[in-house]
Amino acid sequence: MDWVKSLWRICKTDTSALIGGVVILVYLGMAVFGPVFVHLSNVQNPALAYLSPSLQHPLGTDFLGQDVLTQIVLGTRPVIEVGLLAATFAVTVGVVIGLTTGYLGGAVDMVLMRAADVFLTIPGLPLVIVIASIIRTPSPFVLAAIIAVTAWAGLARAVRSQALSLRTADFIEAAKVQGLPLRNIVGRQLLPNVGPYVAISFLLTVTGAIYAEVGLFLLGVAPVSGTNWGIMINLAMGNGALYTNKSELYLFSPMAAIVFLQVALVFFARALDKLFNPRLRTH
Amino acid sequence: MEGLVSYITKRLVMALATIYFVISVSFFMVRLMPGNAIEYLEQQMTIQGGMSPEEIDARVRAIYGVLPTGPLWKQYFQYVGNAFHGNLGNSITNPGQSVVSIIAGALPWTVFTISVALLLSFGIGLIIGTIMAAFQDSWFAKVMTGVTSFLSAIPNYLVAIVLLYFFADQHAWFPVDGTYSIGLQSGLNWPFIQSALNHAVLPVATYVIVGFGGWALVMKGSVVTTLGADYVRAAESWGLSSRRVTQSYLGRNSMLPMVTNLALSVGALFGASVFVETYLTYPGIGYYLINAVNSRDYSLMMGCFIVITVAVIVGNLIVDLMYPLIDPRIVRSAMSKRARVPASGTAPGPPAPVGSALTEPTMVGAAPGLPVSDVGA
Repeated sequence: MDWVKSLWRICKTDTSALIGGVVILVYLGMAVFGPVFVHLSNVQNPALAYLSPSLQHPLGTDFLGQDVLTQIVLGTRPVIEVGLLAATFAVTVGVVIGLTTGYLGGAVDMVLMRAADVFLTIPGLPLVIVIASIIRTPSPFVLAAIIAVTAWAGLARAVRSQALSLRTADFIEAAKVQGLPLRNIVGRQLLPNVGPYVAISFLLTVTGAIYAEVGLFLLGVAPVSGTNWGIMINLAMGNGALYTNKSELYLFSPMAAIVFLQVALVFFARALDKLFNPRLRTH
Repeated sequence: MEGLVSYITKRLVMALATIYFVISVSFFMVRLMPGNAIEYLEQQMTIQGGMSPEEIDARVRAIYGVLPTGPLWKQYFQYVGNAFHGNLGNSITNPGQSVVSIIAGALPWTVFTISVALLLSFGIGLIIGTIMAAFQDSWFAKVMTGVTSFLSAIPNYLVAIVLLYFFADQHAWFPVDGTYSIGLQSGLNWPFIQSALNHAVLPVATYVIVGFGGWALVMKGSVVTTLGADYVRAAESWGLSSRRVTQSYLGRNSMLPMVTNLALSVGALFGASVFVETYLTYPGIGYYLINAVNSRDYSLMMGCFIVITVAVIVGNLIVDLMYPLIDPRIVRSAMSKRARVPASGTAPGPPAPVGSALTEPTMVGAAPGLPVSDVGA
């Protein structure tokens, strides 16, 4: 439970970390408990379309007369789910490859780093769009895997350079002399030393994954079914939200939901970075 | 000199290898993915009727450049050969038009908007970043840190939608109906240029709004680091004029991370163009990519993807070739490193883009407390 303590220590000293952390917690709460407490009624009544905000509909209604706030809350889970999954995939692959290549060197390093270079060069978003359009998957796991396809390379490179500088350290020499297996050296000796860096990269990878995911739904490349923020914007645009003043809330609410989450993640990651990166630490 | 040649050769080989990889991936995606696109097209044409099997074969060959019959390796080499010869097949949804001709009409507009946006955000970021580094405790630096972090966290498509809403639909200040008004003669005449610039305002504005913050943060971080370097202190203590210190000692050295970031930005901007051009109806290559995706025009889609990748690779190559101009040590260190540790296999070349796995240069922005009292004059 040490990391909870150190997280709290960070938040106490840094206001933007505190705000970011609280916002992230609120979103996580919405993702976990939202569908338990909130339900979208199946009643669709165009006569109630684009109602102004009221106590019953704090953010008004959409083009079918359904509550916007309910949809925002329900839309949290799919977005965060895919964001976390994609970041987990990408960070796991990136860290394992980075540590192994950095520690082993030689041919393994050569081959995998060339592969990383290729994936760093190929523009990620067009590749993700092309793969998603061919696979057309409704599964969050597959969607997350597609998004992670290009996201691991940058992290692998960065982690590798840290592992390179660690591999001559005394404790690694000691581990080698003891004849510990590679799994132990990478997982138990090297990994804890790049932990903070990985945590920060994880948060930033989540923002990137959410950017890509919502984009796929916006463009209609991922299947438009269910409720999430990208689909809401997609439907709002498709139903002429731009050409009427009444639908501002329906269009801008999901956009605000995305922006708040992204900014919170970046601020929190930045605060962690300031704390853990000795080069940048003040005083 | 020898170092420079081997440096350039390495970059070129890597670029060609990446292009080859992307073309191969395209082939296998179209050919081997569930619901094989080539066979699907053939079946559809058979169902439509009115064509002999030979005619269908000819049409399919024109669209994809290969036939679903015959061994896979033969199809593969035919596809790769065609692609390297600049033949990407025909479009399905635009009958009679080759993919290359569609892309040739679209790519220049994307390159135009992206280059302008890149120059603008680079310039704005450079200035703001330098000011932030020089006056770290000023209100300007504090406000800009917040603003730039905030802006670089916002997805570009949301900015595009907001601009579209306020500046094209609520107030029809800027057009969003192509790259220039219909009926104008393209060429070097004023109405055409004016119309083209007018149409480019919203896409460029989107890229700049999302992009300049990242540049400012990179520049700030870099200047702050350089300011604390020993050689800058030494130059100051020799009594060199602050102008000389700024230009010869600070400027060049703090530009290096900016150049690294340039390579990343080219890729990110082409990625962003997919959203921005689609929402702002700006028919560049990103617009056609999404059009092709939505109409399942796989040959056009893969063509757009290959060309976008090649464009990014060329952009990166240009950046790679700029490195030795700014920092000759990169070429030299490549030589000496290889001499010292032959077995490690570490790649010589520009510093790897350390930071996030994404394109955002977010990790560089935090503020170290270094002495800055005598700078900024």
